[in-house]
Amino acid sequence: MKSRRLLREVLLPVALGLLGIAVLLPAPAPAQEEVTSSIRRYKDKELSTGYYEEYEVKPRRLRPYVGVPEVQRRYSPVAPYRPGAAVEPGVRSRLEDSHAGIQFYELRRCEECHVQEAGHSHTVRGNLTCRQCHGGEPIAGINYYFSPMNPIRRHAYVCAKCHEGAGISFATFKIHEPKAGDPATRKTFASLYYTNWFMYLLIVGTMAFFGLHTLIWVGKETYHFIQEKMKPKPQIESPAEEPENEQPGPDNPL
Amino acid sequence: MNNQVRIIRFNIFDRLFHVFIMVTFLLQAVTGLGRLLYNTAWGKGVANFFGGYDRATSIHNTVGILMIIGFVIHIAYILAKVEWKAWRRSLFSPDSLVPRLEDAKHLGQKFRWFLGLGPPPAFDRWTYWEKFDYWAVFWGLPLLGLTGIILMFPVGMSRLFPGWVLNVLVLLHRAEALLAMLYIFIIHFTIGHLRRGMFPMNECMFAGSVELEKERQEKPLWIARLQKDGRLEEAMVPGPPRWFRLLYFTFGYAVLVVGLYLLINIFLYRNFIEWH
Repeated sequence: MKSRRLLREVLLPVALGLLGIAVLLPAPAPAQEEVTSSIRRYKDKELSTGYYEEYEVKPRRLRPYVGVPEVQRRYSPVAPYRPGAAVEPGVRSRLEDSHAGIQFYELRRCEECHVQEAGHSHTVRGNLTCRQCHGGEPIAGINYYFSPMNPIRRHAYVCAKCHEGAGISFATFKIHEPKAGDPATRKTFASLYYTNWFMYLLIVGTMAFFGLHTLIWVGKETYHFIQEKMKPKPQIESPAEEPENEQPGPDNPL
Repeated sequence: MNNQVRIIRFNIFDRLFHVFIMVTFLLQAVTGLGRLLYNTAWGKGVANFFGGYDRATSIHNTVGILMIIGFVIHIAYILAKVEWKAWRRSLFSPDSLVPRLEDAKHLGQKFRWFLGLGPPPAFDRWTYWEKFDYWAVFWGLPLLGLTGIILMFPVGMSRLFPGWVLNVLVLLHRAEALLAMLYIFIIHFTIGHLRRGMFPMNECMFAGSVELEKERQEKPLWIARLQKDGRLEEAMVPGPPRWFRLLYFTFGYAVLVVGLYLLINIFLYRNFIEWH
């Protein structure tokens, strides 16, 4: 009896309390961050200068930015850093010099290899060149820890050069976005893909329905109009109805 | 025109709202298309007409805010217009633009008439396509306004949600704007200008009044209802003066020409449109 009361009145609340604390506490991490809340993270600093490298520490398993599916998939916590595997394009994203070992690299232009990345709003509208964002040689891989393009500091080192106060969230805007109509986009950027389909069906549906509706309508009304215009003709032609119309005269020249 | 019996259809506020949305919509269409097609010589020319890409953008933003203000004023206007003490009757009467079951029936009847299977539908005050026109703007304007405001302040707004949402919003904004332009420049212009009874121009949105005899054929139930309620006499108004007709004919046709010019260029440069 007593032990059951002990269980109910002491142990159970304590266990629940501990469980609650365990849920609320940040998960165990290999490195300590200066901001302990995993929800707010850098939020209060994001709109300031953007520079907080003094306090910067290595991120935990999850990177401190809102995920874009493609980028997150590229970063695998399991696969180690392998500089030897430089020939694989996927692994190049973690190299200090991502173009190391490419033949005649000095003579080539970016868009010869990066065809998909060439035309986008920043180059077409903003008149930017690749290097204005990606920097000079050596161009580090995007996931190389000390790269300015690394998502943990990209907003401060790249975006904020023009977009004053750019934060981590802002930097997840996809400059080199996949084509919305491409089936592969369903996996890499699902919301864009489905929005594209929704708007496509809306435009085609609305225009097809009302286009057809209006075309038939105007056509039919014009047809009736012409028919009505044609109708009185036989009456005019018959001499019994209005013969004076047929006779040319000073008042009624034909 | 002036010696015919005319009854009032739109009050001065309705007409002002329409002229307001005509001017702002056209400005948005021109500045927006100039920037959308900035990768073509035509788009550059249009944007340069407004002083370049950045200036066209700021005009687009300012006019967009004006449109949102106009929309809010319109909401206040319709909220004030509803008789809230008898809201059920006020909202769902034939004088209201709220869709009714009859509209669906009219649409079906219209298609039966297209196929020669029956008489054309007899309309009350608002036909289903007029209601669709109204509600299309009513849904399009908040969507374009909201996405536009967010895209106007990308850095601040990306504190509220991830930045890649802006990619989706750009697509939404452009696609919805293109749908609006196609609908207005093709369907709305055809219905307003090319229909047999309307041919040079459907003047009622500018003049505010319609010819009674014409309306007796187009919307017999409305006229019958006015007659039954004894309100037909008080609905009669004099026709628009000659100078005013000249003014709105010029204005209407100027807008028509600009709209068709944009439409043609949308089709010419359709392959250069970046949807997002």
